Amino acid sequence: MRFPSISRRAALRGAAATSLLAAPSILRAQPASVKLGILQPVTGALAQDGELGRLGAQLAIEAINAAGGIKSLGGAKIEMVFADARSNPEAATQEVERLQAEGVAAIVGGFASPICLAASQAAARYNLPYIVDVGVADSIVDRGLANTFRFAPGFGMFTSVAISNLAKLNEAAGKPIKTVVLVHEDGLFGAGLAKLMNTELPKIGLQVLETISHPTPARDMANVALRIRALNPDLVIPSSYYNEFVLLARTMQQQRIRPKGIYAVLNGAASNYRFVKEFPEAAANVMDCNHWYHPTNPLALAVKKQVEAAGKVMAYNVPLNYSCVGLAADAIEHAASVDRAKIITALGASTFAGHIMPYNATKFVGGQNQGAAPVNLQVQGSDIKVIFPAGFADAKPVFPVPA
Amino acid sequence: MNKPTLAPVAVLLVVLAVVPAFAANTTINFLVSALIVTLAAQGWNLLGGFCGPFSFGHAAFFGTGAYVTAVLQSRYGVNAWAGFAAGIAAGAVVGGAIGWLSFRAGLRGSYFALITLAFAEVFRIVANAVPLTGGATGLLLKLDVRPANFQFASRAAFAWIALGCVVAVLALSIAIARSRLGAQFAAVRENEDAARALGIDVLATKLRAICLSGAVTAAAGGLYAQYFLYLDANIAYGSWISVEALLAVIVGGIGTPAGPLFGALALHALGEATKLFAGAITGIDLVLFGLILVGAIAFAPAGIAGSLHSLSARWRR
Repeated sequence: MRFPSISRRAALRGAAATSLLAAPSILRAQPASVKLGILQPVTGALAQDGELGRLGAQLAIEAINAAGGIKSLGGAKIEMVFADARSNPEAATQEVERLQAEGVAAIVGGFASPICLAASQAAARYNLPYIVDVGVADSIVDRGLANTFRFAPGFGMFTSVAISNLAKLNEAAGKPIKTVVLVHEDGLFGAGLAKLMNTELPKIGLQVLETISHPTPARDMANVALRIRALNPDLVIPSSYYNEFVLLARTMQQQRIRPKGIYAVLNGAASNYRFVKEFPEAAANVMDCNHWYHPTNPLALAVKKQVEAAGKVMAYNVPLNYSCVGLAADAIEHAASVDRAKIITALGASTFAGHIMPYNATKFVGGQNQGAAPVNLQVQGSDIKVIFPAGFADAKPVFPVPA
Repeated sequence: MNKPTLAPVAVLLVVLAVVPAFAANTTINFLVSALIVTLAAQGWNLLGGFCGPFSFGHAAFFGTGAYVTAVLQSRYGVNAWAGFAAGIAAGAVVGGAIGWLSFRAGLRGSYFALITLAFAEVFRIVANAVPLTGGATGLLLKLDVRPANFQFASRAAFAWIALGCVVAVLALSIAIARSRLGAQFAAVRENEDAARALGIDVLATKLRAICLSGAVTAAAGGLYAQYFLYLDANIAYGSWISVEALLAVIVGGIGTPAGPLFGALALHALGEATKLFAGAITGIDLVLFGLILVGAIAFAPAGIAGSLHSLSARWRR
């Protein structure tokens, strides 16, 4: 009998290749620290947002550690375990598995709704507390997952606040707006928002002339802009991510399409300093209903200074993640343990007020923070100002926009 | 397929079967993703590798399998296993429909590739718009961990099911390669006119290939839906899966039964390994991944299975 030496050799090669799979993850021995998973998309289409989210989380962890860490755990420091969601739900799910293997006490982040939906469900398998930073889809907290908490407001709250504020704005200015064109990205958030707007806007006396959808990414918004020109609406309501809205605003500016206002809801760019800095003319007087930091909170202003010193912009991702990490640390502090069930209980009972958002103290009902509320913003000069609600506002609205 | 390439495959399969029993969840997770891509690639190989037509739109089958499995469960309360079976059947039907429309019109080569790409895109846009699929919001399958529900507490169980599917298709591929049908596939692949002259019904042969291919790739989609429990149009019908299915076959060895397995595992292992060793630099894994891919294609055009084969042939001399 002849043993084919080749097959053994080839077999060894196969075995060597597969042994790579079983390579154990490298665990660092720091028994005193509390590991906190930070999940953000830092590669792919959402990388810009993910980086800002990471920055916010990092600043919060540094601040908490500098202030003595988790006191109920003998001053344990928080250690960030970063995970890249690579801008898709599948990668996020895999990263949750890795975070689980690394033994994190909780996970903060996600950014986009699909990532949050998939990642929080993956974390639910291990009863691993998950704090959603941005994801606005209402289905995130409607699933009855005990581990999932959302600090920021959801979609339903955003639209109702945006629409009631729009009605107030229009009324205060003597009802200059009668017709509206909706522009939205055809993904999860844009399409849902457009659908809601189509039913809600007629109730406040506004006529929707047309709903225009576009894909993400879109490289050219000329057709959308031309359609807007043809329809000549009083108001344009865009819901798009950063690049597409910047393109639309620039195209509208170049084509001299000047509606009486651009009123965005949850727009990727309208409340972004980068847009204001790079295209001040296109950005002028654009309004948005969005997440924003507390404009008069000294801690928020200190964080803003830090962010700007690092050469970054204070987009909403930064204060939201800063606050969410604070919320997680607060819950661990109250739980006095890294036991997941205890942290979840502490989050459920949380009354955290040390955040830097224009919210009340946290109060979770079914995983949704009832203390959260969106604000209305407007680009005024080279700055982004809060125009609603009055309690947090640092400027008066410019409306209708002077031609 | 001769013995020297069969032996490493057998060893690899045994290793893959043993690993989930001991490995950490992250490893199993990696394995499941790789096996799902393997299955999709095996489907691609049955059509493109065995019978010839290059498809750029296997997402059409993957997405159909995924959506049928998920929609039947979440909207109509059908048992998950039955939904999975229905998804596979739907993949075959969609394959037959696309095949009938395009092969009957005599589309070959790049024209066929483009039409499949177009079909996948149309499906993606429709799935993104109609309420049945949840539109752009996507579909979330409820987390309800019961084996009767095709959801398992242990990740290993799922890895074994995926591996079972891969092995079944591998056996099917080997059987086809050795059968009369396989000979007909090869004849059509090498020269359609000559095949026709030999009395082979070219249209029927190609339709058989695309139905089989659609069913296998749809099974990958169904597994994906059950494993990740979340679907949207870009996942189900996005070009990523068309590309991965095609790349895995090209890297692994086109037209060989084991090629998709080698290719998918190698590509995923490379991706993970570069991420492990150079994780600090964001996205470096994707860059290295691309470089290695270019190198592999430049220096091993016959794929991994092909290289193993020629290496072993050299050794034997």
